[in-house]
Amino acid sequence: MSNKNLKPKFSAQNNTAAETGKRYFIRLNLSERLQHFILFACFIVLAITGFMVMIPESVAQALGGASEAVFFYRGLLHRIAGIILISVGIFHFMYLLFTRAGRRWLVDMLPRPRDLKDMIFNMLYYIGFKKEPPEFDRFSYKQKFEYGALIAGSTIMSATGLLLWTEYRWSKFILDIAKLVHGMEAILACLAIMIWHLVEVYLLPHQSPISKTWITGLIDEDEMKEEFAGHYKKIMADPGLRQIYIHGENEADRAADTPQPVKISDLSRIH
Amino acid sequence: MRFNSLMLVKPFGLAALFVILFAGMAFAQTDVIPDTENCLLCHRYPSMGRFDQNGIKRIFYINEKKFASSVHGKLRCKSCHVGLDEIPHTDIKKVDCSTNCHIKEPSTDKEFSHVNMVEKYQASVHGTGKTAIPKPFPEDLPTCKDCHSNPMYTPLEGIWGKSEALSNETLSRCIGCHTEKQWAQKFYSHFTQRMRRRRSPAEIITLCTRCHEDREKMARHGLETVDTFKDTFHWTQVKFGVENAPDCISCHAPVGYTTHDIRPRTDAISPINPKNRINTCSNQGGLQICHPAATAEFASGRVHAYGVKAQMMAGNNIFDTENQDMSLVRKRAESDVSAQDTFYYTILEYIRLFYKLLIGGTIGFMCLHQFLAHRSGRRKHAKTG
Repeated sequence: MSNKNLKPKFSAQNNTAAETGKRYFIRLNLSERLQHFILFACFIVLAITGFMVMIPESVAQALGGASEAVFFYRGLLHRIAGIILISVGIFHFMYLLFTRAGRRWLVDMLPRPRDLKDMIFNMLYYIGFKKEPPEFDRFSYKQKFEYGALIAGSTIMSATGLLLWTEYRWSKFILDIAKLVHGMEAILACLAIMIWHLVEVYLLPHQSPISKTWITGLIDEDEMKEEFAGHYKKIMADPGLRQIYIHGENEADRAADTPQPVKISDLSRIH
Repeated sequence: MRFNSLMLVKPFGLAALFVILFAGMAFAQTDVIPDTENCLLCHRYPSMGRFDQNGIKRIFYINEKKFASSVHGKLRCKSCHVGLDEIPHTDIKKVDCSTNCHIKEPSTDKEFSHVNMVEKYQASVHGTGKTAIPKPFPEDLPTCKDCHSNPMYTPLEGIWGKSEALSNETLSRCIGCHTEKQWAQKFYSHFTQRMRRRRSPAEIITLCTRCHEDREKMARHGLETVDTFKDTFHWTQVKFGVENAPDCISCHAPVGYTTHDIRPRTDAISPINPKNRINTCSNQGGLQICHPAATAEFASGRVHAYGVKAQMMAGNNIFDTENQDMSLVRKRAESDVSAQDTFYYTILEYIRLFYKLLIGGTIGFMCLHQFLAHRSGRRKHAKTG
């Protein structure tokens, strides 16, 4: 069967919960989506302009008279994108510390012994040794792993990149290490993004053709039950979490479910 | 077609030839050769040539027009080819660039000669040396003709007429006084030729690596090849054709030095001697001020990436020696590679190994995980769908 039939059409997500009678859950608020968007735009620019230094001589020569300009703008773009990425990183760090949503994110993202157990059980489920997959909380081990790798990778890339940028201040040995690490980490990051992240949101059957969460910030109830069953149960059992994570909870559920009074704090929440 | 002198240098034997067959239109084309000895009586024929004892084809044809446009176009043949009084020529001597060539050098009014350059060159790392003990394998040392052909005054394509210095207007100002038009053109060509570099950085790299990437030749002299230069960001700039990109001579013969006087690192006046490194890296007064704020720490490091010698000293003999005698390289490595360099090299190798394992392990795990996830997802949807 076609993969396209596996999942509700994207257009359904644009309708409100009240119209379709379906609940949507908030995965990423507006700030998080913007951070993600800037991050991935920078990542692509950095990867392309960075790996350009590795192109073979023949390709560089094929650029002819334009090659010098290409080299100049390559370096400029790489630095601009690098600065933006570092800024987003710092912003994200502030976001984690100084906003309520950020602090919730941080707590939910912290690695726990359970994640290791989840990973083993999940892989056993994949190969058919277990009937049911583990019930993931808000972030599964896959996402925590990737987030951790992103934080570590960005820090290493930023630090080594800044060293290489201010090359005249450092000894050649420091620069040799910086250059080696910057290159190796770049290969690791690009491969990891392609194999872990893009496959996860793009190629796996239930996501086909592509997850829209990065644009809408939402996932539907079916997917929520399937992917983050632990979190789903927590949300449904806790009115406070319902307010936070269920999209349009205030309007939709007032009619369908038990009416919820509107609180002042709800008006200020970001999503 | 752009003139590339390297085309000439490559085939052995052709260096004796004074003609450039591959060049395009010369800028200052002057048609008359001062052929008072009437050499062109025979040498004007394109079929003039023979196979020498080694079976190499030697061409003795002189294209009169092209020779006239070359930098030596004003010279008589016998100015450089001394002897040649008998026909057929049995009294041939090798051309010696330090010969006086009977052209008067205008500043001193004495006979011109390249002898000062030759002397400087012989004292340099590439020369035969002045000590009583001759250098081993002198046949490996580059001679004048390995780098210099008899270049034509290269055309000023693209820049002619675009600046005041390089224009018909300026040339006509010369001709106003120096009425001998051919002479004025030649003089003008000489100046404009010397005002720009003849070889691009990439061409310089090609020229130097003709010997310096020849592993066998280098090993005979206890040297490692310089291919690790291509692991540097300097090379990246050369590769992209950046103007004034750092090539071999940018560091080995920067401003204030000449390419004829390249010295080893241990020589106190060498630009790559640790004491002179800050000046070399910053290249103050140069066309390209490379690292103006270079610190002593920055300038003290090794520029080429670590090569065979560092590998040897670290006991990492993964390189392919192809049954070569590397004993001399090993011996030189003991004095050239410091304990600190060996330590640095080892650290870098461990970092490289760590990343190889990390990348292999992580990506391998990810591939396995995603493959299983994909298979399981399809199976599940096949059931439910």
